Amino acid sequence: MNTMAKPAAPQSQKLMVFVLTMSLYGLATLFTELMPKFQVGLVEFSVEYFLFIPLTLAMLFDPLSAALGAATGELVFSEIMLGQFGGLGELEKFLTVTIGVYIAGRLVSNPGNRVLVGVAAITGTAAQLLMGTVVDIAKVQFAVEDFEAVEGLPESVFATEGFAFCNDLLFSGILFCLLPTLYLVPRLYGKIEPLLGAAPRTPEQGLSRLNPKAWAVCALGFACAVAAEMAATAGMSLVDWEAEWAESGTAMAVGMAAAAALAVLVLLAMKKNQERNLAC
Amino acid sequence: MEKMMSKLSENLLDKFSMDFLRNQVLKNAYGNDDTVIAALDPRILIAWYLFFGVVPWFVNDLPFLLASFALVMVTTLLARVAGLVLFLFAVGVFSQTGYLFLVTLLFGGDASAAVPLLVLTLKVATISLASVTVFSGLDPDRLSNGLMWFGCPERLSFSISYAYRMLPMLMEEFQNVLLSYRLRGSAPDYETFVGKVRYLIYQVKIIVESFYPLMLNTAKRSRTTVEALELRGYRYGASNRAVRNIKLSAMRVRYDDLLFLAVSALWMSLAVLGSTLI
Repeated sequence: MNTMAKPAAPQSQKLMVFVLTMSLYGLATLFTELMPKFQVGLVEFSVEYFLFIPLTLAMLFDPLSAALGAATGELVFSEIMLGQFGGLGELEKFLTVTIGVYIAGRLVSNPGNRVLVGVAAITGTAAQLLMGTVVDIAKVQFAVEDFEAVEGLPESVFATEGFAFCNDLLFSGILFCLLPTLYLVPRLYGKIEPLLGAAPRTPEQGLSRLNPKAWAVCALGFACAVAAEMAATAGMSLVDWEAEWAESGTAMAVGMAAAAALAVLVLLAMKKNQERNLAC
Repeated sequence: MEKMMSKLSENLLDKFSMDFLRNQVLKNAYGNDDTVIAALDPRILIAWYLFFGVVPWFVNDLPFLLASFALVMVTTLLARVAGLVLFLFAVGVFSQTGYLFLVTLLFGGDASAAVPLLVLTLKVATISLASVTVFSGLDPDRLSNGLMWFGCPERLSFSISYAYRMLPMLMEEFQNVLLSYRLRGSAPDYETFVGKVRYLIYQVKIIVESFYPLMLNTAKRSRTTVEALELRGYRYGASNRAVRNIKLSAMRVRYDDLLFLAVSALWMSLAVLGSTLI
């Protein structure tokens, strides 16, 4: 880390933005994780997306720190704290949230421009949801063997995922991302920045527009997200455990069991020995 | 029926009060540091988790999957995880696969769809129970130290420790802001259907509005936090090896930890043995 080379103020400000987004979005996702969902007919009224919090902060402060903070907050508060950590699969969520929020934050050059804020908010949400949908479909397609063979399964996956996407975008996207962002950004603009010791974002000194390099990095991140989800499938054919056992047969399994049993016994003996030594 | 449903939802809402949520989360985080699982070395437990969090995905052998499921169930019981977390786990597993099964039936699939889905459910359940064991069985500080030992970014372990310390405060503040907003306005009547919709909108609006003061307050607090961290040389220390070694030197692997690994290995190799015999 070359922390010494850069001026101190922006770096520590980035950390502030990170901590701020992490705690707020983490708190919100914790609640959404715990709250029951309403279901009216087929339409699910979930308060799933408190995405307006990182969106708002990404538009006002450094987008990358806010995006990373949001993803980390979700990971730490609602996954790790509640013990819902899903391993490799969480990487996908982490990356899609980061990319979605980052895109939205980069799009806004002037937080005072309401139209721009609205467009950016819905674009970021849509990007995040779309990536999630694509990954979900691909995941089910690969995780269930004989995917095509099971009658009705392919259609059902496309139908449910597609419907969930539209539902999320139209319902949660507008109600919980677009409107709150439009409400909060102009209100907080110019008020919250001094609290962190930062200057408000203006078109002149603000960030450059999204350039091809940023898009490339986003695409790469998405590829990583898909790859993380697909790792399971790739491994399935590479590491064929079943075949291995079938060939090596019972002898090897007996050997393994015996070795493990021996290890347990030895450890028990050593532990007892140690306790006796301590007692003396 | 209508009455029953409304009563049920009322009951649920009573249960899901803010205090209940807070208690459950706090209990989950701090309440069980005297269990067998919490006493284990975090590094050993994370290594154990890496096995049970990854391997079940690659294996399609039913006895093996059943055995690993049984094992992680026992460890979850040993970790004495809060009830709410287990409930969420059940809901999560169902919504991931059980619901897909129902839709498959709807599209004309038959019971044969159940077999691959059952395997999938078993995998998902095993993996998430393993993570429940590790991540809610361990003390947050020990967990973040363990993650750091494995080379996770310092940011992550800082976030975990910070989250656990700050969460009670944040929740209380959120509740206070929410209540003060409620005090100021009168909630719409929710007897009729239109009223219910209006009530829902009112609730959502209040929640969104209460994030305005909350954001400002949290901004102040995070500035204080970061300044305090900087004063102690956090950003320099985070990337310094010597500091890291001092921080991690408290961890010890004891016989109990190895015994835990050995018993798990014994159980899994017995499962392999069983599956080869069948």
